[in-house]
Amino acid sequence: MIDQKTQPNSFKNLCEVAQSIFETRGNNAKIKLAAEYFGDLADENDLRLAAQFLGEGAFSDVSGKRASVGHRTIAVLASEFCEIDYDLVFKQCRTVTGSSSETIQKLLENLPEARKKWKGLNLTLHEVAEVYEQLYITPKRDLKQQIIKEIWTKMSPLEVKYFIRIMGQGSLRIGFETRSVVSAIAKAFEKDAEKVRYAHMITGSLGETAVLAKNNRLGEATFELFHPLSFMLASPIESRAVEEFDQYIAEEKFDGMRCQAHISNNKVALYSRDLNEITSSFPEIIEFFSGKNLPDFVLDGEICVFKNDTILPFQLLQKRMGVKKPSDKLLTQYPVIFVSYDVLYYKDQPCFSNTLLERRVLLEQIAETHQIPLSSQMEITSREDVERLFERALAHGNEGLMLKRKDSKYEYGQRRKSWLKVKKPSGSLDVVILYAHAGSGKRGGTYSDFTLGISVKDDERYEEEFIPIGKAYGGYSNDELAELNKRINTITLERFGPTLLLKPELMVELEFEDIQVNNRTKAKYTLRLPRFKAIRWDLSPNDADTLKDVEQLYQQKLEKERESQGGNPSFIIPT
Amino acid sequence: MITITKAGHHGILLPELNIGLDYSGSKADHIFISHAHADHMPRNRSLTVYCTRPTSRFMKLRGFTGKMIEMDFEQPLETDHARITLFPAGHILGSAMTFIESDKGSVLYTGDYRTPPSPATEGFKIPEAPIDQFITEATFSLPIYKWKSHDELAMQACTFARQTLEDGYTPIFLAYNLGKAQELMFMLKKLNHPMQIHGAGFKLCKVYEEEGFDLGDYETYQRENCEGKILIAPSSAPESGFASNLKKVRTAYCSGWASNEARRTQLTADELIPLSDHLDFFELIDLCEAIRPKKVWITHTPNPKVVEHFLSKKGITSGFLDLEASAND
Repeated sequence: MIDQKTQPNSFKNLCEVAQSIFETRGNNAKIKLAAEYFGDLADENDLRLAAQFLGEGAFSDVSGKRASVGHRTIAVLASEFCEIDYDLVFKQCRTVTGSSSETIQKLLENLPEARKKWKGLNLTLHEVAEVYEQLYITPKRDLKQQIIKEIWTKMSPLEVKYFIRIMGQGSLRIGFETRSVVSAIAKAFEKDAEKVRYAHMITGSLGETAVLAKNNRLGEATFELFHPLSFMLASPIESRAVEEFDQYIAEEKFDGMRCQAHISNNKVALYSRDLNEITSSFPEIIEFFSGKNLPDFVLDGEICVFKNDTILPFQLLQKRMGVKKPSDKLLTQYPVIFVSYDVLYYKDQPCFSNTLLERRVLLEQIAETHQIPLSSQMEITSREDVERLFERALAHGNEGLMLKRKDSKYEYGQRRKSWLKVKKPSGSLDVVILYAHAGSGKRGGTYSDFTLGISVKDDERYEEEFIPIGKAYGGYSNDELAELNKRINTITLERFGPTLLLKPELMVELEFEDIQVNNRTKAKYTLRLPRFKAIRWDLSPNDADTLKDVEQLYQQKLEKERESQGGNPSFIIPT
Repeated sequence: MITITKAGHHGILLPELNIGLDYSGSKADHIFISHAHADHMPRNRSLTVYCTRPTSRFMKLRGFTGKMIEMDFEQPLETDHARITLFPAGHILGSAMTFIESDKGSVLYTGDYRTPPSPATEGFKIPEAPIDQFITEATFSLPIYKWKSHDELAMQACTFARQTLEDGYTPIFLAYNLGKAQELMFMLKKLNHPMQIHGAGFKLCKVYEEEGFDLGDYETYQRENCEGKILIAPSSAPESGFASNLKKVRTAYCSGWASNEARRTQLTADELIPLSDHLDFFELIDLCEAIRPKKVWITHTPNPKVVEHFLSKKGITSGFLDLEASAND
């Protein structure tokens, strides 16, 4: 028999390390395991793949490549491979584990029909990367299936599990996310974690970052225009006790969409929160920046619909989002502007390491020279100031207030306490639980997602009593979830795989951020960020809010009197 | 064939024979209790029931006040209509399968069982006489469940305990307090290290000792004096302050459900030991194939269709006897 000793650069070794990380408690212990693993990889191409597989997926995030194999394809394929019925057997197994890939691992291990078909052949990282590449270039589904089936015969069940998870470009679900991979790279090569994080932010690739760290070349990672930077994010103020108000400045939280503008001479590119390019949707902003012969700079800011000196609701901005070539009519109806509030790069120099105050001075200078709209900043010294300004922001139609720490750097890609957001939930509805869905990941084995309904009993447009208005999977405590699961057992009417149809009985007070029109749903409205506020054991389905209530809330929001910018504006256009 | 009816939350009733199985209604003359887990014990605490000697001891300790007539394994009881024999089920100490023979055929009701049996039980034995109808639990009724051998699991438990103690931590095993807890103690005793068991489980240990099962060096849990001992407690105990005075502890969750990865994050356990007192899916299918009854009735499962499907592929007829699902593992 051939000696099957695990080589450091085998895919199996990566999977075993990932599994140990999953089974180890404590972040430092996990980082140590990954760091030792990275240190063991002599070849830099192996290291690149290992860091990428552990933290990003089959492909580097910036590559734009995807294997493009759907969950269902994988599940059906696995059922065929294991010679079991997909609907009858596989789905039940997945409901219990909450994970397709874990299910497949176990079936490959347990079923004699499947065991015959695979041999762990100790593929190298490189060989597996080639398979992902093949999947990327193969457009046809049946060919993709063939490639996958073929590779599974050469892998152990553990390898298949991670092969699937890595292919999905999502989390490996081992309690080890990007930030930990970055720390492990720093530890493996004895580098400053902050420098590694910076290199990762600039390169956008964990694999590249690991190689730079190994070769003592972290300094080579430099910022480039037209490569978007991860946005700095804000924490909700409720979770942080603010002590020194005078260390913060306040800005209104605009009712728009976050945007990063890269400008070089006459070239302009806009990027959204998820770092996708959205330039073509907003020609008036491009036009605004073009033809001014601007120097190179990168601004962080917000796109808002702005008409008659008033910021108009986000709902109207939605009519522009995703529209690649907006018509003249759309442009006249919903004109947008870009309001800047931060500067990240100016004339060959990144400035995210400067303090907010320093960046603001620079931003004001740029804005004044080139007449670019910029946010109004207000000094605060007390909670009363925050409340007063918060009310004013709401009067402007904005979402709330941002508090930004004056001495903070631009913490790209992080959500810490340097930026705080003050928001009020938009509203709440009393709804009834219609369906319960089996959770996945760490909620596997419990019913944790719920489809919630509003009443249309007296609504002539519908024949049902209740119709779905949204799906929520959070806001409850563990105890409440356990109690819900107990109750669900007693009111289940029917089971469709991982979904239970329930007798409409359990009432929930549902909190949400916003109501949006969505014609693809039965109610024609969807809620943004719906979550449980309270389980209302005291209410009966007769108390459920109606679709008419939802419509009314939406209209109120749309028609809510918005103060024009007037003498007290949320942003300034320098003249 | 003997008519089998489900009696809702009250267990199973064989109306022609006036026999109840894990039954707490009023329509049976003879009621047989398979074992002393709460979901199988009669809800009506003042019934007269038949069971094994250990089961009767456990039930008494757990608050059953009715009359219990003790039966030995493989010593039949004759009634006007039938002959009833108990066979060891390998689930927990005293657990019994009930075999009923009559003019109308035979039925074997498994209660909860495990094959190969748990080492801290009387073993597992199938009657030699033909079985017409086989009423089987199927708690782990999916092909994702396949257990490791008892030896492997015992090794895992011992290694965890030894390593934890060596590192200067106190090991806590989370295990159900009747059956699983004692099985673990039985596995861990070879470490020759003092153990403490949660009060609810402690009082049940003496039944094991009476039946000749040495559980090693153990005492009841004492908060002030538990550091450095091997601790055993039900999984709910840590939430209610069990050993919360200790800073350096590591916990191992011991249950068949531990084989699901989601349990790791749900329970924040350091070690998951998939030690079950039920048989796994493949053992179930193999056993049915070995017995080849005329009909298999599946109970105690959320997924009867999967078992039916696999059995039908083997040419075995089966159906679902819809009882309340088992809460205890």
